[in-house]
Amino acid sequence: MLLVKNLHARIGEKEILKGINLEVHAGEVHAIMGPNGSGKSTLASVLAGRSDYEVSEGSVEFFGKDLLDLSPEARAAEGLFLAFQYPVEIPGVSTTNFMKSAINEIRTYRGQDPMDAVQFLKMFKEKMAYVNIDQSLLSRALNEGFSGGEKKRNEIFQMAVLEPKLAILDETDSGLDIDALRIVAEGVNKLKTPQNATILVTHYQRLLDYIIPDFVHVLYKGKIVKSGNKDLALELEERGYDWIISALD
Amino acid sequence: MLEKTLVDSIKQNHSLTQAQQLALGKFIDKGFPTSKWEEWKYASLKHLNEHNWQWSPETLSVKFPKPDWKQSAIIQTLNGNTHSEGALPQGIALLSVSEFMAQNPTFESVWKARNPILDQNSLYDLNEALVSDFAVLWVKKGVKIAEPLLHHYLVSGQQDTAVQSKIFIYLEEDSEITWFEQQRSESSHAILSNYVQEIWVSKNAHLTLIKDQDLQQSITHVDHTFIFQQESSLVDAFTFSINAAYLRNNLHFYIDGPQVVSNLNGLYIPGEDQLMDTHSVVDHRMPHSESNELYKGVLMGNATGVFNGKIFVRPDAQKTNAFQSCKNVLASDRATMSTKPQLEIWADDVKCSHGTTTGQLSDEALFYMRSRGISKATAQTLLLLAFVQQVIDKLAHAEIRAELSDKIVNKIQTSLGLTI
Repeated sequence: MLLVKNLHARIGEKEILKGINLEVHAGEVHAIMGPNGSGKSTLASVLAGRSDYEVSEGSVEFFGKDLLDLSPEARAAEGLFLAFQYPVEIPGVSTTNFMKSAINEIRTYRGQDPMDAVQFLKMFKEKMAYVNIDQSLLSRALNEGFSGGEKKRNEIFQMAVLEPKLAILDETDSGLDIDALRIVAEGVNKLKTPQNATILVTHYQRLLDYIIPDFVHVLYKGKIVKSGNKDLALELEERGYDWIISALD
Repeated sequence: MLEKTLVDSIKQNHSLTQAQQLALGKFIDKGFPTSKWEEWKYASLKHLNEHNWQWSPETLSVKFPKPDWKQSAIIQTLNGNTHSEGALPQGIALLSVSEFMAQNPTFESVWKARNPILDQNSLYDLNEALVSDFAVLWVKKGVKIAEPLLHHYLVSGQQDTAVQSKIFIYLEEDSEITWFEQQRSESSHAILSNYVQEIWVSKNAHLTLIKDQDLQQSITHVDHTFIFQQESSLVDAFTFSINAAYLRNNLHFYIDGPQVVSNLNGLYIPGEDQLMDTHSVVDHRMPHSESNELYKGVLMGNATGVFNGKIFVRPDAQKTNAFQSCKNVLASDRATMSTKPQLEIWADDVKCSHGTTTGQLSDEALFYMRSRGISKATAQTLLLLAFVQQVIDKLAHAEIRAELSDKIVNKIQTSLGLTI
């Protein structure tokens, strides 16, 4: 579903991604690991369409479409989802209203009729039960005054509602205690189907105890320098990144 | 040219009292405000000199559609002429100022001593020169009316017309009303709509004043609202400035007694080719009173916004609490906003605070919303509506709140649609 070829991206004069190649198929879970500053979050942001980054070379196809040509909202409507490392506070807009707008704009994009209030509420309740989130959180202004754990859980809830084909989780484990981490990971596992795929961007192996990846990629200085299966993550946990880096430098 | 057409017209149509002649002289000396006048720096009216004004507006007869919600009375001011549509509730009278003063002889000297701040306000002089006998809405002692009084203010003209309107609202002790004013226009010609509203709020009286300003693009509207508050009175004022090419609000509160509460809430949402200027004055002349100002602005297209908030705390006004907040969002990089809080505090035992901010919608928030499939225009609209909600939510009357909320949503959506 996702085909990234020789992707280069810069912010201002600084080149951060220096030729990423990545292929993701339906049903797969990919983990992208790497030391701080290697470009992991940049890759997630570029795929979601953050305008701070300029793509200078390469291509990204998503179900055969040129992803880089699409606005962030069109990418979402095509089935891409980014769970933010730092979910943004949206003052005065409740999660419920926010998701209603999102669902109906996506449906319009896809040529479907908007959901009426009854349908929406029914779907919303099902998803709430699914990821075990409380109603009171959803009627508050989105992310405003939420704890770290509440923000991340809300991200997973949004993912459950939007049912993306490809979900990118950017450092979803950061700032979570072990219980919150388990709840978030359970949500992600529940949402996994043979038709969708997940990219986990993470610094630590910890999350991968709960969400087992099919592929692990090590990103370093803007390139994928090593790929393997889940054992690579365990090896990284044990030995750190130095053995890979010193082999390169 | 202005002076000649004005004087010629007046000679034909009016006979001026001495006071009017004095006011006319003042206006002719000063002329229309220009950007050289400090108080009109960003809102010059020099362009008014270019019109050949009709100074005697035509007589209008208009039937407005009745709103769905229950009102206690409908009062119309059509091109300066005020009358009531149907009967007024018990304890409320509408009469001319001369009749009113004849029935309240002791009030006349009090009225003359009220002393509003009029420097650099030549439009008030113009109004005074051309308006001889205006209407008074008289709310008798202890009369409390729950349903709003609906006021239709309308200006119109088949040619470039200067309309002067004035109304005086007098609330006796312990009375209570809600005055909901819809300011409208019906003209494709240039109209100068120069409106003076003076309000006397006696001891323990409570006024809710709501202004819905939605005028056409050919209109220059200047609204002078001067409110004089006596001991233990309460005023909740709301100004919703929605449309007009040029909209200037001179909103003054004169606190003339202790235990007074003055609440000023305002929202201005100018779009393409619109200028909205708020000059508020809160003059604390007596101790133990409180004023709260909450203003918000959304500026779209190439709109210009101005906020100048003066607070005076006079030497006698000890134990005053005065707060002022003015927050603005520039929803377009072609829009401008000028803010100036001005506090003059002469008493030492007071609590005063003020804060003004002007910013843009957060790019982070917009990207977050768009990454969920919400279009840029919808994301902007949702954020702006959340921003203005705080002011709208302060309106207690549910139907008026819903009506204004729809109007504001509509204006913001339309303006953003045009500028994206």
